[in-house]
Amino acid sequence: MKKDGNLSVLVKGVLRENPVFVLILGTCPTLATTTGVIGALAMGLATMAVLICSNVVISLLRKFIPDVVRIPCYIVVIAGFVTIVQMFMHAFLPELYELLGVYLALITVNCIILGRAEMFASKNKVLNSALDGVGMGIGFTIALLAMATIREVIGAGTFAGIEIPFMIDHTVGIFVKAPGGLMVYGFLIAVVNIITKGKVIKKKEFSCAGCPSAGVCNGGCANKKEGE
Amino acid sequence: MDFKGLIIILMGSVLVNNYVLSRFLGICPFLGVSKKLNQAVGMGISVTFVMLMATAVTWPIQKFILENFGLGYTQTIVFILVIASLVQFVEIVLKKFIPSLHKSLGVYLPLITTNCAVLGVTINNITDGYNFVESMVSSLGCGLGFMLAMVIFSGVRSRIDESSIPNCFRGLPVTLIAASFVSLAFFGFAGIIENLFA
Amino acid sequence: MKSYIKSVVALTAICAVVAILLAVTNFVTAPIIEKNAAAAANEALMIVLPEGEDFTQVDLTKYELPATVTEVYTEAGGGCVVKLVTAGYGPDMVLMCGINANGEIAGATCLSSNETLGVEKTYGDNVKGYTVDNIDSDLDTASGATMTTGAYKNALKDALNTAIIVGGGSADIRTEEEKLADNLKTALPSAEGKFTKWFVTEEVTDVSEVYVADNGKGYVLISGESFIAVDSDGNVLTDVSDDVKSVMSANVEAIKSSELTEIDITGYENMPDAVDKAYKTASGNYLFELHAAGYGINGDKYTASGEYINIKVSVTADGKILACETVSQKETDKIGSVCGDASFYSQFNGKDETNYGDIDAISGATITTNGYKTGISRVFEAVKILEGVA
Repeated sequence: MKKDGNLSVLVKGVLRENPVFVLILGTCPTLATTTGVIGALAMGLATMAVLICSNVVISLLRKFIPDVVRIPCYIVVIAGFVTIVQMFMHAFLPELYELLGVYLALITVNCIILGRAEMFASKNKVLNSALDGVGMGIGFTIALLAMATIREVIGAGTFAGIEIPFMIDHTVGIFVKAPGGLMVYGFLIAVVNIITKGKVIKKKEFSCAGCPSAGVCNGGCANKKEGE
Repeated sequence: MDFKGLIIILMGSVLVNNYVLSRFLGICPFLGVSKKLNQAVGMGISVTFVMLMATAVTWPIQKFILENFGLGYTQTIVFILVIASLVQFVEIVLKKFIPSLHKSLGVYLPLITTNCAVLGVTINNITDGYNFVESMVSSLGCGLGFMLAMVIFSGVRSRIDESSIPNCFRGLPVTLIAASFVSLAFFGFAGIIENLFA
Repeated sequence: MKSYIKSVVALTAICAVVAILLAVTNFVTAPIIEKNAAAAANEALMIVLPEGEDFTQVDLTKYELPATVTEVYTEAGGGCVVKLVTAGYGPDMVLMCGINANGEIAGATCLSSNETLGVEKTYGDNVKGYTVDNIDSDLDTASGATMTTGAYKNALKDALNTAIIVGGGSADIRTEEEKLADNLKTALPSAEGKFTKWFVTEEVTDVSEVYVADNGKGYVLISGESFIAVDSDGNVLTDVSDDVKSVMSANVEAIKSSELTEIDITGYENMPDAVDKAYKTASGNYLFELHAAGYGINGDKYTASGEYINIKVSVTADGKILACETVSQKETDKIGSVCGDASFYSQFNGKDETNYGDIDAISGATITTNGYKTGISRVFEAVKILEGVA
């Protein structure tokens, strides 16, 4: 991975290692904030901002931070950036701040950010870490937008609040409710599975070390294909 | 606060606003640790326990320290640190004094640190304006709701494993779709709370 | 040991740096957040007072305001916005009312209300321009929602009075009960403020309500807007015209003759079951205590709660209702329970067997209304039996 070119570091997050559909990280905001396109975009960009900043800072400090306390240090750095983003949104984008509510604060415990800090930023140079943050952030945002577009168009008959002529009269309300989120997510992962068939990096090999559930889950959450 | 109100908060957070199935908090462990019933129960108990402890500590911190000194903006960072150290502390105490309990719960404790349900419940208790007792009841309800969802879902999952599914749906996709049905079933609880005492 | 110290130093340093960063960000954003919050609050207030600007919240403890008022804001132009909680037809409703510098209502809105849909909407603009002087007489009632209208009007009056008080004036903020008590006391001071309402069992002229002094010093008769005091000997104490004096003296004579004698109803074979007790007055009128079946009746018997509606009715010997009052009821809250309200049962006053059915039904509670009417019809039967004409 360290020998990858800058461009591939940037691009891989978008599809091949898409944090949402392939690495299955950050599922909570993916499901919770995708009832509307605007909320999803805001969440994606906020997460991206935190991701880039924390990646850069952690990469800068990677020699300074002792190994034993690295996780607490990462958490402090991440929580700090989350709070800063929160405050700026509260000040300049109060409507979005209200819309995202508690999920904004919960970016802190989004596995993507801690996962990237642990897996990538702590081992790579600043520039690459920043690019990784950008790539992963874009991948995350695109994934949220895809989810939100499907859910909002079918569930509410609108796109970013703009009414769509035919759909507005034929809404399927369940799509913007909780069950619809889980369902759309399941189908999208299946679609990505078909597109990238065989080429997907198995989550088990890639990011379980960074996942807090690793001890018990043993890759149980990944696309384990039985009989392989 | 009357008893009736507390029951409404409890039932509301267990059934109607179930953290996993309707608020999407704690999805990672929900998907990761719900494969076996005993794991689901162990995780559920640990989460409930940590939620109660975390609320018992963060609520006074918020009210008596952060709000008093105008430090409300550090809420996120303080809470996550408190939860992280609390989990560590609980683990050490359990290991030292109740080894048997540590043996059964210990493995789940570290993963709760970054469980967004725990941070979520502590923050929600503050934003919902609950007093201390209400916060504790709400945390208990969220923990129990989490456990209920895990236990129910572990039953569903054991059936999925035995069925034949199209290849691309194997693993997570079908799990999510099954979770969607469980969530749909919980929809049936919407509205019962208001009419519980009517 | 060395690595241990290094860990602590590193973690502390990071925490410190983050804390400083947060403090700096907070320093930059806090004033903006505060300004936004104030702007948002102002915007909410401007719904009811569009011309208002620069609102400041008033310290309520400084003024003696109506009990319903929860928040008051004044604005630079001399207007003010009053937020109050009032009991409507259903649960409490929260109302916000904007009053401009001329003391006119600039707008009003229900912030939360479970009122039957539509009522509050018809009110939003209708109340514009009213002042404390004309709101009682000129404001139209929302059709079909008498109770809501009453509550709404009282709330708006409270808001208008609040505006006057906050603006430095004085206003009458007494509740209806307090006003009544004060008026009674003024009319007949010797009663020392202790009165009992007389249940009308005699035909009285030009009088809506009668209060009897508990210490026997006399009576206060309410005629229209005026309170007329009469002592126990029939001398009119209040300064009114001689015609009125003679009418009131006659009324008091009638009231005095209203001594009740209980009738043993078991002696009458066909007496309706509904009648619990019957009394005859010295002048030959009757007073009945009876029960009517309400909602959930089964075979003319029980209400949903297993309770009757208990009614007290006075009637002349020839079958004209003098007064009617619901003593107790356990009908469905906010629906059938309206039968316990004076606006409902006072409709029966003056009715007889031919037209007692003409009253307005309680909306949404047809069964309660019909049960009540059936109860009233038993009164006419009972009178005929007692008079021996049945």
